[in-house]
Amino acid sequence: MTERQSYSGIPLKPVYTPADVAGLDYAARLNDPGAYPYTRGRRPATQEAGGWIQHELSGEGTPLRSNAQFRYLIAHGATGVDVIGDTPTMAWLDPDNPAAVHAVGTQGVSLCRLEDYRELYDGLPLDRITVSHSLPAPFAIAGLYLSAKARGVDPKGLRGSAIQVPFYCEDCGYATHMPFALRLRLAVDSIEFATRTMPKFHAFLEDTYYISDGGLDAVEEMALGFVEIRYIVRELTRRGVPVDSFAPRIAILVNCRMDLFEEIAKIRATRRLFARMLREEFGAQDPRSLAVNITSHTSGLTLTAQQPVNNVVRGAVQALALALAGVQAIEISAFDEAFRTPSPEAHLTALRTQQTIQLETNVTGVADPLGGAYYVEALTDEMERRIAEMVAKIEGMGDPAALCDGGWFRALFQNAMERYARQIKEGRLPKVGVNVHRMSDEEDTLLRDVAERKFEPCRERVAELREFRRARDPRGVGDALSRMRRVTETKTDNLMPALVAALEAGATMGEITGVMRAGYGHPYDPFGMTESPV
Amino acid sequence: MRPLRVLIGTLGLDQHEVGAVAVARQLRDAGMEVVYVGRFQLPPAIVKAAVDEAVDVIGLSCHSWEYLYYLDELMALLRERGLAIPVVLGGSVLTAADARALEAKGVAAVFGPTSAVEDIPATIERLARAR
Repeated sequence: MTERQSYSGIPLKPVYTPADVAGLDYAARLNDPGAYPYTRGRRPATQEAGGWIQHELSGEGTPLRSNAQFRYLIAHGATGVDVIGDTPTMAWLDPDNPAAVHAVGTQGVSLCRLEDYRELYDGLPLDRITVSHSLPAPFAIAGLYLSAKARGVDPKGLRGSAIQVPFYCEDCGYATHMPFALRLRLAVDSIEFATRTMPKFHAFLEDTYYISDGGLDAVEEMALGFVEIRYIVRELTRRGVPVDSFAPRIAILVNCRMDLFEEIAKIRATRRLFARMLREEFGAQDPRSLAVNITSHTSGLTLTAQQPVNNVVRGAVQALALALAGVQAIEISAFDEAFRTPSPEAHLTALRTQQTIQLETNVTGVADPLGGAYYVEALTDEMERRIAEMVAKIEGMGDPAALCDGGWFRALFQNAMERYARQIKEGRLPKVGVNVHRMSDEEDTLLRDVAERKFEPCRERVAELREFRRARDPRGVGDALSRMRRVTETKTDNLMPALVAALEAGATMGEITGVMRAGYGHPYDPFGMTESPV
Repeated sequence: MRPLRVLIGTLGLDQHEVGAVAVARQLRDAGMEVVYVGRFQLPPAIVKAAVDEAVDVIGLSCHSWEYLYYLDELMALLRERGLAIPVVLGGSVLTAADARALEAKGVAAVFGPTSAVEDIPATIERLARAR
């Protein structure tokens, strides 16, 4: 290779000097933490500040088993809960769908009814901790809202987030079996609903993590993220929702891969771009609308099946980068990620890694410690320029919704993953244990016993669901689903009140979603295994 | 001689598709015809497609544990219908211990996360020619 480059292809010099930041206007481009354009942090620096929300992605088996995972992590110092659904849940299907039964609870928690959410949050201090959801957002929002109300917790005080992924979900690992128009409507409706009912909750969490873990580089990650943010902001304002009512509750979930300075520059550039965009293009005035909340996961893609203990190191260096970038929350992908949902051992190791960085390194004592570094500022400027350029290029190609339907993003993801695999195969992207410093399978034993442990799907959920259906009031469910169908067919009314009422009446996510799919002319059940009750 | 025909698909609700598409392209580049049935396939549909398309090898992508349960059904269907089509599995969740268990069930070859993916076309070719 002739020239060193960052992972996203930015040429790098052997050393950076004052000449690289000669034109840098401190007040306009950086400014103090907590001041526009928020490059150095969304909050003013204080000596008491420091630290971030520490959570670990959880969810396995039944809601109660997942609740036990949360309690274990909280007992060991976690300050938030981060939950992901199993494969049927992420496909908006019920666990007793015959196509789903072998996948129940093995890659996350199985959730489809209101009482599942009540069990999931049982005993959690919802007034103190944040609850982050990698779940079908409208159901997570409705489930949390109703569970809090039933426990006497005011929904207006709830904190946490729900990922909204209408654009790219079908292209990088999820499958909702819904048309884009319905996915978008559900995102916008649920954000609008939560803005009114749960004003402290980040109902608009833009997930760029999975864009990056789909193989796209840091520039592409944020460009696609901004395209989605801008589209949804325009949809909300077009409906007459004031930008300052929802913008303070937009958050971005970013990835952190191994090119540490590029990742740090990406986060700083993102804060600046977001602030400028919201103020200058969307007319936001409330400072809270401009200072975006950034939450983060360390990268699952960078972890390896070979020598799993190396993944502990990868998680630690990525989390350190995130701490230096000043994010609001961190989740470390567990060392057994290449094999399974986190084991208790891997969960605890990840949490302890965060605690060690926070408490022993003193990195949280000073805000934006890398601010002003010649390299970091030059790279932040370049990342900002490239991200903005790619956003403009994509929007210049036409309506992003049409690009989505036409498969443009899909091709981007497919090519990116092949590019990533090729870089590793050809050794251009060094991966310890994979293409350099390999060892034989016989030698490679450390932590493998933990990583390779399997567990059974949660078949008892299937029987439980079938019994639940038999015992509930069919009339109430039928009425609620009929209303859901009517509201869906208006194509404009907010879906959330009917969705919330249907969950309360005992309808399941699979039924409610099936009725909405049918309202858009799609099959009620993408697998053709179950019949619509209405 | 006609080119080898290989079915590539993914079982159950497993949503990962990148590996399956990458292998499909790899086989195509090696001169084979790929019958890409994609995600969300259950064993009866895979067997039907394999027969209808007269494939020489069935290749399944496994990134969830669902294959543990669907594989027995698939192998039983192939046996019932007297079909001796080799089945090859590849995916991130297939450990060395899994590979031994799968081969004991009659799976012809297994590619796990530490396997050399560049060997896939040659292995498929060898299995198909040995039929």
